[in-house]
Amino acid sequence: MMKERKTVIECRNVSKTFYSMAGDNLVVDNLNFNVYENEFVVLFGPGQCGKSTILNLIAGLEKPTGGEIIVSGEKVTGPSPKRGMVYQTTNLFMWYTVMQNVEFGPKMQGVPKKVRRERAQKYIDLVGLKGFEKHFPVKLSGGMQQRVGIARAYANEPELICMDEPFGHLDAQTRYLMEEEVERISNSDRRTVVFVTNNAEEAIYLADRIILLHNCPTSVHKEYIVDLPRPRDYTSPDFLALREQITAEMDNTL
Amino acid sequence: MKAKFNTKGFVNSLFFSLIGIVAVLILWTLGVNYTTVGLLLPTPMEVLERAIYTMSNPIGRTNTLLMHLAVSLRRVLVGFTLSALCGVILGIAMGRFKMVEAIFKPLFELVRPIPSVAWIPLAIVWFGIGETAKIYIIFMAGFVNITVNTYAGAKQVDENMLGVARMLGANELQAFFHVVIPSCVPYIFAGMQVGLSTCWMAVLAAEMVSSTEGIGWTITAGQENGDMTQIFVGIIAIAIVGLLLAVLMRWAERVLCSWRVRGK
Amino acid sequence: MNTEKINTAKKQKRKYQIISVLSVCVFLLVWYLATAVFELAPSYSLPSPVKVFNTFLTKLHSKAPDGATLPKHFISSLQVAMLGYLLGAVIGVPLGIAMGWFKTVDKIVRPVFDLIKPIPPIALIPVMIVVFGISIKAKAVLIFFSTVIPCITNSYSGIRQTKQIHLWVSQTFGASNMQMLFTVASPSALPMIFAGLRVAMGSSWMALVAAELLASTSGLGYLISIGRSLLRSDLIIVGILCLGMINIVLTAIFNLVEKRFVRGGKDE
Repeated sequence: MMKERKTVIECRNVSKTFYSMAGDNLVVDNLNFNVYENEFVVLFGPGQCGKSTILNLIAGLEKPTGGEIIVSGEKVTGPSPKRGMVYQTTNLFMWYTVMQNVEFGPKMQGVPKKVRRERAQKYIDLVGLKGFEKHFPVKLSGGMQQRVGIARAYANEPELICMDEPFGHLDAQTRYLMEEEVERISNSDRRTVVFVTNNAEEAIYLADRIILLHNCPTSVHKEYIVDLPRPRDYTSPDFLALREQITAEMDNTL
Repeated sequence: MKAKFNTKGFVNSLFFSLIGIVAVLILWTLGVNYTTVGLLLPTPMEVLERAIYTMSNPIGRTNTLLMHLAVSLRRVLVGFTLSALCGVILGIAMGRFKMVEAIFKPLFELVRPIPSVAWIPLAIVWFGIGETAKIYIIFMAGFVNITVNTYAGAKQVDENMLGVARMLGANELQAFFHVVIPSCVPYIFAGMQVGLSTCWMAVLAAEMVSSTEGIGWTITAGQENGDMTQIFVGIIAIAIVGLLLAVLMRWAERVLCSWRVRGK
Repeated sequence: MNTEKINTAKKQKRKYQIISVLSVCVFLLVWYLATAVFELAPSYSLPSPVKVFNTFLTKLHSKAPDGATLPKHFISSLQVAMLGYLLGAVIGVPLGIAMGWFKTVDKIVRPVFDLIKPIPPIALIPVMIVVFGISIKAKAVLIFFSTVIPCITNSYSGIRQTKQIHLWVSQTFGASNMQMLFTVASPSALPMIFAGLRVAMGSSWMALVAAELLASTSGLGYLISIGRSLLRSDLIIVGILCLGMINIVLTAIFNLVEKRFVRGGKDE
């Protein structure tokens, strides 16, 4: 059954070294994994090292120093609107309204105003920001800003969305809310998502598959397929058991 | 939520303001009438009367007070607009392109520390005592301030945001207009505010050194005739126009940079 | 690969430095060619760079044509500027702090202050000349005026921006009103106060040049206005460049002083 699925991302022996005056820093070492169409994959690992770099490599913002990344059959050479990104710091265009932020991608590709407005409105409604279209980002709370970031990525209708610890800066309460929100959004608009986090609960709650990463230099340590029924319950015995298992394994990655 | 207008606080502060201003006016009048200061200074009433009189009667040959102001304002408008154009273009070009920075930064650094007023003699030698010289002086006054600020703004553009724009499919040109320009705007405005008030000073200085009309000329003419009342009328008019220009700029900034204002 | 990359980065930097130097050289060369070789402009309006340099050298010791050597003018300008500036800072900063801290002082003084604030110091030159004549006093008062206003404005808003939470903290430790002013409010206003002193430096320098242009018998502003009346633009350019130099040096000194006083970094 697995074999029939279309592969969206293929990482082949990817490695990345940062060169600097202070010395070389090997961040990603011989990374191999695949992501399949419409799959929600969580890259999970402790520490600061490597996870965001992997996303930047997939996005094409950085170039690998070894190996190659293939997205939908094409080698990644630079950023492309086919790959959307949601950032840890929201990175909204502070000088544009919510609507202008969300319609930014389609606008850049010359989508006619009426069509892109409709599309942007659809995603603004989807993330629950109806009525805030004309607000500037400074006037929104952190959680709301992150919703705009998600809507902006979706409105470009990319074949792949990367999320880089999008809720890392939010308080615990908002974080739970946003996790439910992402769950709801990805159910109603199914896309391939690569989600980076260092929070085990978040990973299990959202993922179809969790790739546990090795810390510094980063490589794949172990994979878990999460087949708990959705929406998941943080307190169900299966959830807790898996969490226990992953947290225990995490100590071996350091 | 709109803040409620605090009537009591407003009346209170108005009361204290009036005390301060009335006290100054009374002291001024008393000082002029009963001490030796009176030999030099006019009373506030005399200044007011003269101001009203010169609204309809000419100072010098033909121009009334308002016409002199209009002459000066026109000069500032032309010089300032030119300087804003050049300053913004040079500032952004230097901030964004290493090559432009390498070529123009050292030359700009040569000009930057020169006080704009010091250009007056050179401008007169170069362009004579006509309009061109004055516009050149005003231009230099605005240009330096606006370039410095725009350059600082263009230097601090968040590279991350450029990455975001590219990820969403913007090409270089689109990224420039949707990211670089908007994030420079607050800096450009800071530069234009300082620039406009410097231009207003520069036009005064230029007119005081050599001119036959303009608000700066009215006060030097007053000095030459020993007419202190005319000097005071000129100064007050200058202050009011300066204040109006500053208010205008602040209003424009509020409208164009509304995205930076937190809360509602 | 590693060292190679760093080397290219270094090379890039070197390349731009060389371009900068070249740019200045080309500028001087064009200036030289346009004036000395092709004589595109009459020498009274644009002298060649060589002539400007020679004038600079002779002016270091010669008194002609304006009655004093360059260093004399220089000292004369600086003396007046220092006198007025220090006086303005010493009076303006405490006054601004008092206005910001004591509500009653604020209520009475501020409206008066708001009235005089928009008057550009240059506009006061004729008043100073009528009242004090062409003297050092006239210039010093003018510079005092152009210093005192930005000092007051910035000290005032610096004190006003003291974070309420810092005041509460010091209150819980039992600080008196005066202790709060001197240990919390004033230090936290320091960056703003220095910003004001910086603005004051620029505007008083400009006012001084204007005053010397209009009515003076010494100083760099006087030097350039003589240059104008004699149509000696080499003299004017020497004067202008000196004014720029002094500005650079004063700014550098100011930066050092600021670094010494504003410790712990500027608050956002």
